[in-house]
Amino acid sequence: MAEVEKKEVAAATPPWKPKPRPIVRLGIVLISHSLLVSVVCCTAGVVALFLLPMLAKNTYISENALMPGSASSMLSNDDISEAERLAKDLTSLNSGAADAGIERRRVLAKYLSDLGVEVGYHKFEPHQNQFHPLHFFSSPDSGLSRENGSCSSYGINVVGIIRAPQADGKEAIVLVTPFNFRKNSSSEALSISIGYAVFSLLSRVTWLAKDIIWLVADSQYGEYASVASWLRDYHIPVFSASSSHNADSCFEGNNINLLREESLDRTEISSGFRRAGTMAAALVLKVTDVKGQLEDTLSVYAEASNGQMPNLDLINVVNYLAVHRQGLRVKVEKFLSVLRWEWIWVLGDTLNFIGKVAGSLNPEWKFGISTPDYVEGTATLANSLYRQALGIPTGPHGAFRDFQVDAITLEISPKVVYTNQGRRNEFILRSARLIEGVVRSVNNLLEKFHQSFFLYLLTSPAKFVSVGVYMIGFALLVAPLPLVAASLYVDANKPDPSSQGPKHKLQINFKPWKWLSAAKQVFTVHAWGVFVSLLPYFISQIPNSTPAAHSIIWFSLSTFGLLVLYLITKSHSKPQKGEWENLKSVTISVVFIGLLLMSVVNFATAQIGALVLVPACLLAQPLKLDIRDASLKSFLRIACNVFISFVAFPPVGFFVLKGVNEGFGDMDVGEFWTWLESLWAWNSATYIYIGMVHLPCWVLCLHILLHSC
Amino acid sequence: MPTANTEEENSKSELQKNHGGGGGFTRWAVVAVIFRLALIYFPGNLNLSSRPEVSTPLTSIRRLAEGYWLKQSSMSPYAGSMYHGSPLLLSVLGPLTVKSLVFVLADLISSILIRATGRKLQIAYRKSLKSLNLLNKSTDSGALSSGDIAALVYLWNPFTIVACVGLSTSPVENLFTILTLYGAATGLAPLAAFGWVMATHLSLYPAILIIPVILLLGYGPDAPPSKLFRSKEHGKVGDGKSSQEIIFSWRRVFHLLVWTSLWSVYVLVLCSISVKQHGSLQEMFQRTYGFILTVEDLSPNIGVLWYFFAEVFDFFRDFFLIVFHSNILFMILPLAIRLKHRPCFLAFVYIAISSMLKSYPSVGDSALYLGLLGLFLDELADMQFSFFLFCGYVGVSLLSPVMHNLWIWRGTGNANFYYATAMAYACFQIVLVVESVSSMLNHDRKLTKLSTSKLQK
Repeated sequence: MAEVEKKEVAAATPPWKPKPRPIVRLGIVLISHSLLVSVVCCTAGVVALFLLPMLAKNTYISENALMPGSASSMLSNDDISEAERLAKDLTSLNSGAADAGIERRRVLAKYLSDLGVEVGYHKFEPHQNQFHPLHFFSSPDSGLSRENGSCSSYGINVVGIIRAPQADGKEAIVLVTPFNFRKNSSSEALSISIGYAVFSLLSRVTWLAKDIIWLVADSQYGEYASVASWLRDYHIPVFSASSSHNADSCFEGNNINLLREESLDRTEISSGFRRAGTMAAALVLKVTDVKGQLEDTLSVYAEASNGQMPNLDLINVVNYLAVHRQGLRVKVEKFLSVLRWEWIWVLGDTLNFIGKVAGSLNPEWKFGISTPDYVEGTATLANSLYRQALGIPTGPHGAFRDFQVDAITLEISPKVVYTNQGRRNEFILRSARLIEGVVRSVNNLLEKFHQSFFLYLLTSPAKFVSVGVYMIGFALLVAPLPLVAASLYVDANKPDPSSQGPKHKLQINFKPWKWLSAAKQVFTVHAWGVFVSLLPYFISQIPNSTPAAHSIIWFSLSTFGLLVLYLITKSHSKPQKGEWENLKSVTISVVFIGLLLMSVVNFATAQIGALVLVPACLLAQPLKLDIRDASLKSFLRIACNVFISFVAFPPVGFFVLKGVNEGFGDMDVGEFWTWLESLWAWNSATYIYIGMVHLPCWVLCLHILLHSC
Repeated sequence: MPTANTEEENSKSELQKNHGGGGGFTRWAVVAVIFRLALIYFPGNLNLSSRPEVSTPLTSIRRLAEGYWLKQSSMSPYAGSMYHGSPLLLSVLGPLTVKSLVFVLADLISSILIRATGRKLQIAYRKSLKSLNLLNKSTDSGALSSGDIAALVYLWNPFTIVACVGLSTSPVENLFTILTLYGAATGLAPLAAFGWVMATHLSLYPAILIIPVILLLGYGPDAPPSKLFRSKEHGKVGDGKSSQEIIFSWRRVFHLLVWTSLWSVYVLVLCSISVKQHGSLQEMFQRTYGFILTVEDLSPNIGVLWYFFAEVFDFFRDFFLIVFHSNILFMILPLAIRLKHRPCFLAFVYIAISSMLKSYPSVGDSALYLGLLGLFLDELADMQFSFFLFCGYVGVSLLSPVMHNLWIWRGTGNANFYYATAMAYACFQIVLVVESVSSMLNHDRKLTKLSTSKLQK
């Protein structure tokens, strides 16, 4: 009898509970203290972001084969004077004449063929950027259609190729100088001079191991378009006869002049498309006039589409040669408005002070940074993050990255507009020597760039934050998401003590699957997000309307779609216990997955997105509960929630950011549309992020806030 | 606006899937077929058939086309190491111009078979519960049977859709595997034998399903542990011999073996006729089974073997091949002993394990076992980590293409990036298998507890 009793007791309470494994216990502890953990982690994540300028390391040249600056420059004044003669010939042509462009091309081609290099023309039609919703996961060229546009607008690039005397011609280095053949511009002529000086030198040297391609890109339809179409034709040969025939007929009809001129030069200038080997690196050279500079400066632009960067070694080589050999001031773009923010300076002072105190305690601890350095670093970092997050290339070099070629744009601006020929020659000499040095370094490469970083943020031309460092801050920021999701999930699915019926029944309850209905809601809202992000494709086809009208149509259609969805899926049943917790848990999980994915695709977008979405998701709690609670804490939370959900709405966020940077003067509704249009026209993943992760999660957060629990 | 529309449909289906009754199945099956057709005839190129997640060297439609072309030009279809599938598939699918419709049809038939199998399993489950006096209202009230859910999960699983639209031959392979289970569950030995022979012929790994099929034919569909019935017999003294005695039906197993050998001979004869002109059966075995077992193709896929065999030194290769393949074999016996009373579930576990450890896995394999998982909804209702697994599957299946893009197209990542997702995927699969098996065993324990407590009353 006693035995039976014992058995019953054993049946009622589990006889022994196995002690969970340490990792499980750790997980349980973390989940049960998720509030504390999330506050600590989020704060640490934000602090880590602001510490990044301090944690930046000095750049170093990782690839030994590069050996920058080890050879002395061979560029002489003869090259310069020859280049200046070319520039003079180009500028002396009457710009008003209709055929000035053709004449300039002819002059350039003449000079090039006099050097004994291969010269070719490349005709192209500027390719209109199109929205390809499916473009992102496919290869760079799959979404491309080669339909014949109108013949009215086309450009012609001039291409010169030096064959390396002792190489097999399997590799090449590309120099690009954008040049508008139709217009007379002294700075563009200067860039042609520099390019020609280097090119003429390279046509004579014996040490070339890679072919050199000089692309004088016709920039009348934009610098990017000409370079991109040349690259496309370089990498994707056209085999069908019809398309080339079409292009030719186009030229015949419209420009007999050019054709005649070409037939004259046929002996020297090849009519077919000329190719060299695979590209090891590319340099885009530009000269700009910027007023009020103290010395000659070199700006480096590196961001390509979707936040991709060229290998850091390329920037290092340029930076090393420019600073240590040619005495140019190198700079990368920075947010000037950050320099005006008081609190950044205060933060810099504080960090400086902490660094000093730490240094006095232990001289080994050298993490101090001077306040101006910190503020400059922050401004540069902010710009670096912003440019990468936009996902729009900052110059023609972006086209190269789509074909896995490392490329940067070098923008050289002289101190003053030189009138004195001697000073001008000296400027050309320095710039050309810089290019020569870089070409010589890249020429030494045995393999393509692979040693140094591809994933980094610049805080100054000689300082960078590598992926291993900036990921820590991001990881800290998003770490609370799975924890809070788990803890909410556990809370929502806790066995209800009141409904614990008689145990001796085979109760098949689908309690562990309760999250399915929440997942359904989340899925619906994300499907709506897809719908919203595809809408602009159709709206933009409406003829004769302004961006403002577009945005209003878009906004109203999206809201209408959301309303319809809400009416369809509205449940009339009483809200169940744990419903909003489940919904929040699923939302947070989705945000976590989305941010993780985005951090792989484009880190900067994920970082900026996390700064907004993580607090919005973590704080979201039905307002009804908070109002019922009526304590100081809940009022604070209401205030935070309302503020964040207001700012997190993409258009509002855009205008607030714009206002902070440029002042809240004139705001136009259409600006947001224009901005987004530029994003999707460049196939930026940020657009997809905003449409498919940010917006749906914002709607879900609102839904949780307004939940009637 | 095809994509937007289909997304809407998809969402709607997700919404109503859990509310629809038995009539809902037909509706949603039709919508699923339309959805597939819409995707197949989508004007833009989805590029699915070249994705490593979808098409493996064994299932790729391009390779099949190449093999067919070789055969047409009077060469061995296996020349040039392009095609590694069955010659029968070549004869059936090769001449068709609309191959995609075959795959849609295969998916549809598979889901109908899953539904029928589910019905069978549910009836058996009810019956065994009734015989244990455990059936009550709450279990009876389920509006949607697990078979319907399983079939709809199979049809609407993004993996299945992607495998079907990506024109890999895995829907056909899955169809034969499901046919085997259906035949075994309904006690049709010839059908089960045919399914098993064809499935083994097409992809080799279903060979291990012979054990669940024998158990299924011998013992009948899944039931609670047999000792439960025996103890119940002991409890009811004087009730006489009841019909609940579980007998292993050797007759059916014998039928199965006879039919298996018949079908094997038949398939081999067909194959030899088809390859006679340009090759031999030996070449066929070398190029299909040999290709699977020696892991010759090391192009990346979602499995874990390609990376390992790309790294391993050549003189260890044979050793590790044996180790990796015996991994699957090691698990067969213990699982068969532990789960012999639930042969269908055993088949699910085998399929899950083999799709995790096979040499060229694709999402089509995952689609199969995820669909079968739905069959055991009643038993697995208290499965742990379901939400975690769901998030993991969603995350990995999104991350994998991104990592591939980073590695192949952008060049900023490397093979490790992609392999990391493959490992994460394998981990989630392991968690799924472990959790489902343990919750199934827990369910058995619960039944035992309930039945003993009933007896003691």
